[in-house]
Amino acid sequence: MSNTFKGTPSRRAFLKMSAAAGLASFAGPLAALDVPTVAGLPAANGPLHWLDSGGQKGEFIKATLPEFGKVNGFDVVYDGLPWNEIGTILPLGIRNGSAPDTFNLPQGMEPSVALAEGWIQPYDDYFADIAAFKAAYPAGSFVEGVNVFGGKTYGFPFSTERRFNNALLFDRAKLAEAGYDKIGPELALTYDEMRDAAKKITENSGGRSFGFIIGGNQLGRWGDSVTMLAQRAGAKVGNSALIQGLDFATGEYAFGSDEYVAAVELLLAMRDDGSVFPGVLTINAPQAREFITQGAAGMIIQGPWNVPIWEATAPQFDFGVSPGPVPTADQQNNPVYVAQLPNTGNMMWLNKAAKNPHQAAAYFAWLGSLDGQVAYANVASCADPAIFPETIALADLSERAVQMLNMAERLVRIAPNPMIANPDLSKVAAAYVDPTPNLSQAIQGLFAGQLTDVRKTLTGVADARNKALDDAIAVAKAAGANVSREDFAFAAWDSSRDFTNDDYAAL
Amino acid sequence: MTTLTLRRRLWLSRIDYLFLIPGLLIFGAFILWPMLASFYYSTLDWTGFGENAKFVGLKNFTDLLHDEFFYAAFRRSFSFMLMTVPIQMLLALVLAIILNNKLLKLSTFFRAMIFLPVVTPVAVIGIIMVLLLSPFNGPINGLLLDTGLVTRVVDFLGSPTIVLWTLAVIYVWKWTGITLIYWLAALQTVPDELYEAAKLDGVKSWQVMVYMVMPIIAPFAGVIALISAINALNVFPLIQSTTQGGPFFSSEVMEVYIFRTAFAPASGQFPRLGYASAAGVIFGLSIIALTIVQAILMRRIRRKEPTHG
Amino acid sequence: MADVMTHKDPFFTPRRRRQLVSVLLAALSAIWVYPLVWMIFASFKPNSELFSNPGMIPDAPTVENYVRAWREANISTYFFNTLFVTVGSVVITSIASALMGYVLGRRPVPGRFAIMGLMVFTLFIPQGYTIIPVFELLTKLGLGQSLWGLMLATCGHSIVVFTLLFAGYFTQMPKELEEACRMDGVGPVKTFVYVMLPLAKPIIVTVVVMQSLQAWNDFLLPLVITLANPAMRTLSVGIYSFKGENFVDWGGMTAASTIAIVPIILLFLFLQRYFIDGLAGAVKG
Repeated sequence: MSNTFKGTPSRRAFLKMSAAAGLASFAGPLAALDVPTVAGLPAANGPLHWLDSGGQKGEFIKATLPEFGKVNGFDVVYDGLPWNEIGTILPLGIRNGSAPDTFNLPQGMEPSVALAEGWIQPYDDYFADIAAFKAAYPAGSFVEGVNVFGGKTYGFPFSTERRFNNALLFDRAKLAEAGYDKIGPELALTYDEMRDAAKKITENSGGRSFGFIIGGNQLGRWGDSVTMLAQRAGAKVGNSALIQGLDFATGEYAFGSDEYVAAVELLLAMRDDGSVFPGVLTINAPQAREFITQGAAGMIIQGPWNVPIWEATAPQFDFGVSPGPVPTADQQNNPVYVAQLPNTGNMMWLNKAAKNPHQAAAYFAWLGSLDGQVAYANVASCADPAIFPETIALADLSERAVQMLNMAERLVRIAPNPMIANPDLSKVAAAYVDPTPNLSQAIQGLFAGQLTDVRKTLTGVADARNKALDDAIAVAKAAGANVSREDFAFAAWDSSRDFTNDDYAAL
Repeated sequence: MTTLTLRRRLWLSRIDYLFLIPGLLIFGAFILWPMLASFYYSTLDWTGFGENAKFVGLKNFTDLLHDEFFYAAFRRSFSFMLMTVPIQMLLALVLAIILNNKLLKLSTFFRAMIFLPVVTPVAVIGIIMVLLLSPFNGPINGLLLDTGLVTRVVDFLGSPTIVLWTLAVIYVWKWTGITLIYWLAALQTVPDELYEAAKLDGVKSWQVMVYMVMPIIAPFAGVIALISAINALNVFPLIQSTTQGGPFFSSEVMEVYIFRTAFAPASGQFPRLGYASAAGVIFGLSIIALTIVQAILMRRIRRKEPTHG
Repeated sequence: MADVMTHKDPFFTPRRRRQLVSVLLAALSAIWVYPLVWMIFASFKPNSELFSNPGMIPDAPTVENYVRAWREANISTYFFNTLFVTVGSVVITSIASALMGYVLGRRPVPGRFAIMGLMVFTLFIPQGYTIIPVFELLTKLGLGQSLWGLMLATCGHSIVVFTLLFAGYFTQMPKELEEACRMDGVGPVKTFVYVMLPLAKPIIVTVVVMQSLQAWNDFLLPLVITLANPAMRTLSVGIYSFKGENFVDWGGMTAASTIAIVPIILLFLFLQRYFIDGLAGAVKG
């Protein structure tokens, strides 16, 4: 917490220092940052309590928010927790009144549902001029049904969803030794090559290292990774939450499709070859990330956030990045789809019972300004890229970070989002009960060996989910919502380009 | 004795009632009321937030009957009990018999060592075990590989077929110390003269144990078994701090199931307090039934005892 | 085995046999405490060494883990929270169950059999059954996020067992005790405090020990009440969440764990006799 560091150290220097400090807080280097003093802020009611999923964006918040609080006269409690902890802690906190002032919503929870359950409130009234604030954002950042409800602004966006969330990251030396030295951002492995590479890496190490690793205890990784593989294989399906695996052509869940089955079978094949790190079922994603730098495995399917973390904490680790594997070589340029421009996972929401809404909003205002976004991009890099595109030019990025961002530009498309097309669908989301097992649980069960028939299991999950969605639509309809299953189908969608506001207008 | 009116007797006992207040408040608030409230909650469709609870009658119960995860967790709770209690009781009994020997100088020391895991918080045990049993360079796997007992690392906490056994061993390790104390207490009711007399008669020590000591400590066995059984059904802390019921529910016991449904649902799902309460009611009633059955059995055994002579 | 150990064999004198048993017991004890000892050694290893050096002795011992654990994990706060809850619940439970056990055990109060019956019925209720209403009750009482609420709820776990222990014990005491007091003009409160309680010392020790162990090891209840509020977490919950938040800081975890168990282990070793006597009382009663 010392202020002895003067000047503006580069992003990389900052990261190195963060790494050196381990888990300690490192407001030091950023203390030189010019956080603004906000006039007319009411007195704080206890500390501002901020909860997010940590990671690279968390490093930035953890460093700047206390500084912002210091110049503006309030204390800060920052918690960066893994997603499954947020999923437990937040509902408990909301129930007994100890939830943070502002938070990320648990994964898979539709904001409309949080709104319906009384968790969140709009922050328009805490801004002097909310319209001007929103006008500075790129088009598509504030979307009715995503972070705006009934004209009120609920979710605060600061990073973009256009990100390759499930890239293949690999130990360059190990993959080269296995005979795949040309793999990189422009050239992905095929499924057969990946399986072969994993096998060779394991053999080459004499059993001390393994071809593939995944944080298999963190359930969501299974569903997300496999959905990405399916998309790369050509499935035109939604990526996460309610629309994960939803085929936009038909509006039906497509877990039983060839693309999904082939993706799961690739994982099972690597498992049967003995090429998967033993114990993947007991480690989470950050542990998998840590193990790979210690030489425990050669490949991992993970997001761009690994890049700045590894470059900072394991500078000796020589790794490369590549898009996820594809079944056949001619599918190299198959895109992956995201649901909207702003990253909803990172989005911050204001607790309905927030004790310090003004303080939270004041920090939002800064982070959502060009100044704040540039400062943010310097730290967040390609991990949680800033939502203002102009910051990319101003940020100091490593070679691999640039590769990641270019990969995202080239291959990530914004797909149609039923929630935007028909905001009434939020009532469906509120009534929707995800069946057990869900996609991730089923894949974990298949991988652990308790479930056996891949296609039958996945088709079963799809059927259960289709039924659950129909049930939810019926409940919403009975409550007067104007919704139908057709709202989930976009047969006329041209999947080669982004689905824009114009496309929504044309529906 | 003169018969007093009820009013008079109540008045005379006013100070006694005063004595009862603190205990009854705690009992009422944290045991009796929750029991009754669970019944009420179990008839609701309720996420636990706000006032959106909806009365659904017995629907939660009928749904539970079709929930394979509930069945599995329910069965697993009782399997876990059967996997741990006999081993724990037997191991503790053997140790107790050995440690009960007054001539064994370090007896107190050994007893303390065995007892140490009992005072170690479960969260700490969770951390130790996850590290010790790690398939990647964990010390236990290292030992097994070095000695050639296995050729490929064992994923103790990640393999669905062995995870419950691993947890059972950890559980026995943690709690044997307390069972040991119970057995020692039971053995201390055996008079020293008995051993001496037997020795003079030239009776072999295993015969002393089987024919003379065992009958004396038999009544304690019932109590100890009951305590151990109930404790084994409350294994939530250990499982939550190691596997959280995974992988793919293969170590999910009832309390983990209830916790998951009520407080920590999978992403995309809501807490279902009513549903979890219904599961709790069934679980609770089963345990009460188990207790009653055990009590009846013990009474039968006791009644028979005199004929043994 | 039994034959080998008979007195006929000149080699296996009772003395030698005891020595052999001692050696075997020592080996067993070593295996038994190995996980704890391993953890303490591991807490001095840097993170990079934890998985690369499966041996027990650190190559490059460091206290960095402790510095980090103390600062990041707030172990001191968790420790005092746990102590507060434990001591508070022990005091409340002992007093409440002694009073109730006394009345139910030997006072001719109308309704005491009804109360006793109700209590026996609930004797073995699992925590999973009551946790949801307890959480809701505390929240409604405004105690849902206070250590007082946690302390009170912790009292609930075993109050029935303790009351029955006291009741059983008091029933066996000679009838003349109160008679004598009444003759001497001693009031019922004084009788209880100065005559009955001192006589029930063995049961008090039992209750104190059992409730301490219970409160110290408790997990489900503190988890749902304090997880969302870092300032209130108990040791178990704090260490659990430290593990959940710093999953790659193995060194920090083992250091935090060591800090957490050392005081309780020392306490146990010093007060061992009371622990043993107390627990023994539970079965005898």
